[in-house]
Amino acid sequence: MNTKVIEIQNLTKYYGKHLGVKDVSLSVEEGDIFGFLGPNGSGKSTAIRSMLGLLRFQKGQIRLLQKDNIKNQKEILQEIGYMPSETMFYPAMKTEEIIRFCAKARGKNCSSEADRLCRLLEIDKKKKIGELSLGNRKKVSIVCAMQHKPRLLIFDEPTSGLDPLMQELFFDLILEYNKNGTTCFLSSHILSEVKRYCRNAAIIKDGTLIRQDTVENLTRSNIRRVKISLKDYEEEFVYTGDMQDLIHKLDGMKIQDVLIEEPGLDEIFMHYYREEKKK
Amino acid sequence: MTIFIHELKRNQKILLIWSFCVGILCFGCLLLFGGLEDTMEQMAEGYSQMGTLSEVLGLDRLSIATMEGFYATEISLMFAIGGAMFSAMTGAALLAKEEEGHTAEFLYTLPLGRTRIVLEKYASFWALTLLFHVICAAWILAGLLGAGESLPCREFLTFHGLQLLMDLEIGSICFLISAYCRKKPVGAALGIAILLYAADLMCRILPDLENLKYVTPYYFSNGADIFTGIKINTRLLGLHAAIMAAAAFSAVTLYRKKDLSA
Repeated sequence: MNTKVIEIQNLTKYYGKHLGVKDVSLSVEEGDIFGFLGPNGSGKSTAIRSMLGLLRFQKGQIRLLQKDNIKNQKEILQEIGYMPSETMFYPAMKTEEIIRFCAKARGKNCSSEADRLCRLLEIDKKKKIGELSLGNRKKVSIVCAMQHKPRLLIFDEPTSGLDPLMQELFFDLILEYNKNGTTCFLSSHILSEVKRYCRNAAIIKDGTLIRQDTVENLTRSNIRRVKISLKDYEEEFVYTGDMQDLIHKLDGMKIQDVLIEEPGLDEIFMHYYREEKKK
Repeated sequence: MTIFIHELKRNQKILLIWSFCVGILCFGCLLLFGGLEDTMEQMAEGYSQMGTLSEVLGLDRLSIATMEGFYATEISLMFAIGGAMFSAMTGAALLAKEEEGHTAEFLYTLPLGRTRIVLEKYASFWALTLLFHVICAAWILAGLLGAGESLPCREFLTFHGLQLLMDLEIGSICFLISAYCRKKPVGAALGIAILLYAADLMCRILPDLENLKYVTPYYFSNGADIFTGIKINTRLLGLHAAIMAAAAFSAVTLYRKKDLSA
């Protein structure tokens, strides 16, 4: 059995009366690229911040790298690279100063890896943080998270603000680090990127974990988005059920065109959400 | 030392602005004293006859026509209020600015530990306050030199030592407030610095409010008292040192358990 690098059991976090996450349990094995899927406000960031010890939770237990996340927070953070969703640094500092500051805080000399990452991501090291756009700040954050070659990478909505070219480069880096043994945990609300790069994933909605499985199984549901073009009009609907039945139903209709495609993230959420409610 | 040095660098501009403003103000007034020496006699007479107010400001015991009196009543006041405002603002900003600037998530996910971060930030506050005092004292000494005057060394050192303790106490209280807040409580910090000065005035004017001397650190560090040889109340000093330590300890304890916003 593979070593578990993330183990969350019954995590419950309330902000006063407001629910953050409730009874969330999930585990991630070493060497995995794990997707944490959920719409905005579903509790992804709350779970991640609880994992990193930024938030104190009411119930549950979290173990990262097989250590308790509160008792061994410093040791754990030493081996983690984290990129928050809203990347903010000290605006008066230069990019190179921030990168060096991160390395210093870890007591490591990461200059060669930092230089390589800066070159790849086309970062101007002499620029002040205050002069950078969100996308460029994200790139600096990627360097800060990766330069020390951590065992576990945690990314919260990493691609927002990055242009498609940089997104591609970012995932290439993830794959490269993963090849060298780094486990990656990335939260996202974009199904396609999770589908493309992750092996396993969990779906969270309204603070509750709906399902954890392989990406293949999660997306291999029997829901399909169906778009049919008839002579006078077009119709689009979400179909859940046996494909044979669908074909029978379409048989005899004067269809000019038909498109049957995989569902969007919302439909998948709703599908698992309804299934969960039925239980 | 990463955070300690980081904070010193980030605060160097504000340190230089405040220390040069307060220092140059004191320096200028000291030089002015030489030019106004002739008219000071008349002013001193007038000031000493203002009844309770003269007593409160120590003008009944000291003459502003002498450098000692001028320093103990006028310069000390500017220095005390300026220093208190600087330390209050510095203490108040150190913790809350991370959440206000959305840098808390970045800083607290570095493998340093919250206790270390808070302690290093607190240590940087001490260093900044000390540097403020050293720079201001240098300007004051330059002013004395320029005016061709001198002050009794023991009283001068006692005054500045107690002022340092006062600033550290006010700053520590503001540091505790900063641990609670998600935005820099600069207004509250300046309010505290001024209110404590008002408390000192009140407890000296109104005998019924004498107990306020246990609240305000301006009382034990009063320039006029020190330069007229009034014995330092060590119990009062101990109490204020304990308040400072309690504020710092509470700030660390509280901040270790606080939920940090992004």
